[in-house]
Amino acid sequence: MKLEELLHHTLAIHAPWRIVRVRNDLGKSQIDIWVARDTQRSGWLFGPRNTPSPGQEQIWRHINIGNARCIVHAVIPSEVEDADLQWLGEAGQPFTRAFARQIAGMFMQGVSFASVCALLDLPVADLWKFKHRLDTGKSGLSGQGSAADANSAVVPAPNDPIWEELLSGSLQLDIRILSLKLLLTKLREQFSVIGDSEVRNLKAHELQRYFTRHEKMLSHELAQLARN
Amino acid sequence: MKTRQKLISVSRAAELIEAGKYLSIAGDEAALRQLPQGHWIGGTIPYFMAAGGGTISRDDVFVSEISGFSEPPQLRFYDAGSLPQICRNAPDNGYSILIIPAFSPCHASFAQNAPNFEEMYMKPLIGWIAGVHLDDLGKVTPKVVLGSTGEFSEADAVVMDVPLPPEKFAQIDIVNLFHQGSDAGIRFPDNGFSAGDCLIDGQPANLTDYLQERQIDTRLPLVADYSGAMINVSIKSIDRAARRVEFYAPVFPALEYRFAAPVADYVSAFQAALPSSGQDISFSCNCILNFLNSQLEGKRTGEVTGPMTFGEIGYQLLNQTLVYLTVTE
Repeated sequence: MKLEELLHHTLAIHAPWRIVRVRNDLGKSQIDIWVARDTQRSGWLFGPRNTPSPGQEQIWRHINIGNARCIVHAVIPSEVEDADLQWLGEAGQPFTRAFARQIAGMFMQGVSFASVCALLDLPVADLWKFKHRLDTGKSGLSGQGSAADANSAVVPAPNDPIWEELLSGSLQLDIRILSLKLLLTKLREQFSVIGDSEVRNLKAHELQRYFTRHEKMLSHELAQLARN
Repeated sequence: MKTRQKLISVSRAAELIEAGKYLSIAGDEAALRQLPQGHWIGGTIPYFMAAGGGTISRDDVFVSEISGFSEPPQLRFYDAGSLPQICRNAPDNGYSILIIPAFSPCHASFAQNAPNFEEMYMKPLIGWIAGVHLDDLGKVTPKVVLGSTGEFSEADAVVMDVPLPPEKFAQIDIVNLFHQGSDAGIRFPDNGFSAGDCLIDGQPANLTDYLQERQIDTRLPLVADYSGAMINVSIKSIDRAARRVEFYAPVFPALEYRFAAPVADYVSAFQAALPSSGQDISFSCNCILNFLNSQLEGKRTGEVTGPMTFGEIGYQLLNQTLVYLTVTE
């Protein structure tokens, strides 16, 4: 794979869209890329410049390139064209769809607000803006996670204390499913040496996610959880 | 229980391949090399539990036909570097069949690290460790085959990812006749395929000395209790000079092991232990140590058939255990 192809692949930018310009001098540990519709085959960066799309250029924070922030500059295409383009964001919003999904995935795994900012090198204000839109239903995360990971009415919520009781061993279950026996053994071993509350919370989310994914075959175990 | 697996001739297996069937095939290397390219993965082993009983054959091959998938299964090799991605790459709903050549880097890496692979236990992973006829040990190497290219490998693992429709789900279970005996609890300081110094009932000791002092039958595995699942680690050899014991699977420091209680009659105990759910078994395999130690040649173990392997995979590496896969609606 050529370097050019690798970068397009990494940033989920696919034909007919392509990177037409790159700068690394606009911010510390920051790479800015300009994406436009490919109107003609040309050399990358040093070839003939593509014709910019008409309209106002928007800027979104995209998934990081290594430890560097990646900023996408582009004009929002028509509705037909922008369907499911992961390198695009909504007008006036700080993040591309791919980056929004990455952040939401971290929240769903129990990573705290402060940790998300630290891990992704995110300004708190941008994350608040994003989270507020999510909480008020103004932005969605369609396509986030698999259907198998969707929330369940039967499985307790990730923050339910029952998961920590299971992980600490204070709650015991009669388990019939091999994968749960093996997973619980591993998680209990890890949980016993974890002191940090956020990491313990992550383990609770991992166990809850297993139950949600395998709800159909866990009726025996879920019935015991319901009695507690 | 019913099964859709059987021991058949190479020519019959070739017909199934040429008919476009998706197959997992176990057989002696010479037999596998006669098969045409197609939608199959394979591994070398000449020991089988066939419908008629325990069988050693260098001519026939044991075929598991894969059906009921929602999209065509994906077949590929994994090297030791990419193997940790196996569960992450597996279908969201479905299962994966994994075959690893014994004594390869993939074998060692999987044995020690599989519990920590990303998405491990979230998606069903079943399979086995390819081996050789015991007469050939040290002369030929165990191998796996990617049938779509006809390529054999003694280093890489081969995988078939099988996506299932949303109304179906795959489940892996085991039948292990061994349970923890009443002797001392043993803990090991390190993760590994061999051990010497350890804690026995909390006191510093040496495992080789303990085996000798207690005259323990080393055909019996060490057994650890994984939240109710009895998981074996079988004894491979004892190096008395180095005062170390070699295992067929790694021991882990967080677990307490005990030597298994003896099983008086493997065949009758096995038949009694099989669940009678009436479900079809899509795939199963058992351990060559059970075949040898319980002298299963010519004996039937209920309706469950499959290759008798150098290690079983039910998510992680297992020893002396029957592993089986069912698909339920």
